[in-house]
Amino acid sequence: MSERKITIEYNDRIVRQFMLASIFWGAVGMLVGVVVASQLNFWQLNFKTAWLTFGRLRPLHTNAVIFAFVGNMMFAGVYYSTQRLVKARLASDILSRIHFWGWQLIIVAAAITLPLGLTRGKEYAELIWPINLAVAVIWVIFAINFFWTLARRHEPSLYVAIWFYIATIITVAMLYIVNHLSIPTSFTHSYPLFGGVQDALVQWWYGHNAVAFFLTTPILGIMYYFVPKAAERPVYSYRLSVIHFWSLVFVYIWAGPHHLLNTALPGWLQMLGMTFSLMLWAPSWGGMLNGLLTLRGAWHKLRTDPVLKFFAAGVTFYGMATFEGPLLAIKSVNALAHYTDWIIAHVHAGTLGWNGFMAAGMFYWLAPRLWNKPLYSQALANLHFWIGLTGILLYVAAMWTSGITQGLMLNATTENGTVLAYPNFLDTLNSIRPMMLMRVVGGGLYLAGWLMLAYNIFRTVRGAQPVNGTVEVFVVETKAEERLGFRGTFFNPPVVFSILGTIFACTWLFGNDFLKLVGLFGTAFWVLLAWAHFEGRNRQWGVWYDRLLVSALPFTVLTLLAVVAGGMIQIIPTVVVNRAENVEDRRQIPYTPLELAGRDLYIREGCYLCHSQMIRTLVPDVLRYGDYSRLGESIYDHPFQWGSKRNGPDLARVGGKYPDVWHYRHLEDPRSISAGSNMPCFPWLITQSTDVAALPSKISVQRMLGVPYPAWTPAEIQSRVDTQAKEVTQRLRADGVYIAPDREIVALIAYLQKLGKYESIAPKGPVAP
Amino acid sequence: MTPNNPPSPAEAPLRPHSFDGIQEYDKRLPNWWLLTFYGAIVFGIVCWLRTQHFAGPDDAAQLRAELARIEAAKFASVSSLDDATLWKMSRNPVVVASGRATFSTTCVGCHLASLRGKDENPQAIGVNLTDQIWIHGGRPMEINSTINTGVPAKGMPTWGPILGPKKITELVAYVLSYHQEGEPVIAAPSTAPAVPAPVAGTPK
Repeated sequence: MSERKITIEYNDRIVRQFMLASIFWGAVGMLVGVVVASQLNFWQLNFKTAWLTFGRLRPLHTNAVIFAFVGNMMFAGVYYSTQRLVKARLASDILSRIHFWGWQLIIVAAAITLPLGLTRGKEYAELIWPINLAVAVIWVIFAINFFWTLARRHEPSLYVAIWFYIATIITVAMLYIVNHLSIPTSFTHSYPLFGGVQDALVQWWYGHNAVAFFLTTPILGIMYYFVPKAAERPVYSYRLSVIHFWSLVFVYIWAGPHHLLNTALPGWLQMLGMTFSLMLWAPSWGGMLNGLLTLRGAWHKLRTDPVLKFFAAGVTFYGMATFEGPLLAIKSVNALAHYTDWIIAHVHAGTLGWNGFMAAGMFYWLAPRLWNKPLYSQALANLHFWIGLTGILLYVAAMWTSGITQGLMLNATTENGTVLAYPNFLDTLNSIRPMMLMRVVGGGLYLAGWLMLAYNIFRTVRGAQPVNGTVEVFVVETKAEERLGFRGTFFNPPVVFSILGTIFACTWLFGNDFLKLVGLFGTAFWVLLAWAHFEGRNRQWGVWYDRLLVSALPFTVLTLLAVVAGGMIQIIPTVVVNRAENVEDRRQIPYTPLELAGRDLYIREGCYLCHSQMIRTLVPDVLRYGDYSRLGESIYDHPFQWGSKRNGPDLARVGGKYPDVWHYRHLEDPRSISAGSNMPCFPWLITQSTDVAALPSKISVQRMLGVPYPAWTPAEIQSRVDTQAKEVTQRLRADGVYIAPDREIVALIAYLQKLGKYESIAPKGPVAP
Repeated sequence: MTPNNPPSPAEAPLRPHSFDGIQEYDKRLPNWWLLTFYGAIVFGIVCWLRTQHFAGPDDAAQLRAELARIEAAKFASVSSLDDATLWKMSRNPVVVASGRATFSTTCVGCHLASLRGKDENPQAIGVNLTDQIWIHGGRPMEINSTINTGVPAKGMPTWGPILGPKKITELVAYVLSYHQEGEPVIAAPSTAPAVPAPVAGTPK
């Protein structure tokens, strides 16, 4: 066997760039977070300015911290560790550079378009379609760069960190593409392909798994590299890595519907979402265990080393958040917590604690190595840790208290359970104001800590000489017989048992009476057989897995299979079955052109970020907002607007509840109607005119999507708009408000007054009373 | 915890391979962790079986039942009774169910379980309560007063003091649940019954 020795210089320049970008965007994203949190306390901070209003800045905050801060951090960590774990320089310097600059351009584009109100109206998927395309392209470039590097590796076997990176890259691509399928109506606007319940399901399949595969799996990979490195200890358990990796990627995908518990979502999907969330607890804790127990024998270093402090705390927060997640996914707990600040506490324990602290630990560890100079100040880094930790604890404690308080108040009834105890929503808002203020303090402390990191890194880097890591490797030809071919990938005990088990489990889920039993007993049979086989031949399983680890492509294919299953099983039946012609009981009446224009304004202003349009099948919801929402009542909504947070009351049946003039005054200055409200003012709706010219192309796209509009000409659309707008303005005039019919506020009022209008349908069975 | 004291190599086998200097133990999975994992899976399966195979009422049905209970509780506090309220009560499953319970012990003797009385079985004592012919008035309040004061001359006892107002309104609601609001009320002459009235019906 011929061996030659070569020296490889890693591409650490790209790591440095991503790291500095992450620090910068992290500060920006957190600053916007503090601003929006303050706006909830002091409505004046919206400055009556469109692009500074909460509804437009909140998407900027979430997108900035997820995609700009954690995104750049992840790329830095993935590129640094992958090169070393596979002993190969990144495959292409050009692709790396396009990846970096492309990603920063996307962030800048997002930072410009979101405040302008250009949005798709779906959480964490707000960016408009041209930017979506750019994200997809850059992600593919990242994938090519990564897999090409794997193909050129000098280390035949794939370490657990690489498994998580592979899962990240393919799953995020899948989720992102499906949830962003839309048809453009103009260069800056599009309607999503799915509507109503289908859109809700796809959105939270994406939203939940953006957390899973953008904020969790890559960071777990980073943990598996940087924690043992920093602790200088072996990883706790390889077999735990195997079990928790595969169970995590398989189970995570199924849990999306827990964002839609107690809503109009069909019961079986809610049950899947809840049970799979509970099953996710142990796989998540597997990661935490492997992280924390790797520190065994290194705990004494925590006293002095800020890096390990951040890692230990970060992994602990991961464990806490992944225990809280399953808890919140229990339907009865969710009935209290959903739409409240408890969820905000939950996500921030994850993002500030897990993502933020892992990022900080990694950057403090990387900086001296990337610039060949000791960290400017260990003391400052330690101070950052304590101030950051205090910030998180204040934040999370405040939001827990606030969420549970408001949840209890909103659900409280009196007089033998027949009347709401706090019928006025504002009473509940005003009682959590102190907690909302404490959240700003906690977030502010966290930001202060981050600025210390930025300063510390800046002082470390300034004047320092960047260095690139090198390694000497022996080039060894991999023996081809070690790698798995097609047969070896699929025809082996673990894969066969998994596939058969899943097929029978699906038969059990979907079958009729007989098939159900076949599925149930079949699943049990295969599980027992797999168990028995494993007990007898576990060496054979181990050998196969070792061979899988030297075969990057088969590994990727199997990972893809594992993550595809859950989504297909949940989404396909919903897309096929829950269509407008099938929904029972009630069907939405399509919006008039003016109402459609108003709806697009509702989305532009980000109203869905504070107002849900989904009355759950819960007594307090019905007592407060009216009859519970039916599936059919939002079936033509592209995108759906069920919402995920109630900073204000639900609007699903607000139509007709108040006169037009109420909405006019309320949008102009909410406090003139509801004293103590924290809603921003929307004065620009009174001065700007509605974009009627865009309606013909919007309506033709809606027709394409299956909304039953007749084939109106632009002139017909215009005349319908004029007629309805005039009706609204005449009603307003009768109440003393003089406004031109072409103003945006007229369209928005028309939309709000339409909410909750439906036609009863009874395709079968007795007529609904 | 013992600082500066790395576990002895004999403690656990290290995997032979190292990645960029990172080694891996291959420790057994903690039992409590496995228990959590299997426990959650078993819980999931039981949950699914319970909710999907032995399906009880779904969320919407449970909600409707609970709302009916609330409405019924509200009726209890209504001080002045009128036709509209009684009609509303007749559409509330909780009230109607209570009415049915009273009816099945107190009234079936004469009016039969079908409420159709003489029309079902000429031997029966009571009249049909499901048709549109009313001898003593078919408006809800009239039915209410008929039950309350009774028609002793024809064998209808005076129920007011026995059952109390709550049970009687429930009975009215139950009877009305066989009718639609706004349907015609045909007044029948009180002499209509061809059968000689048994003078003293003995209700129980």
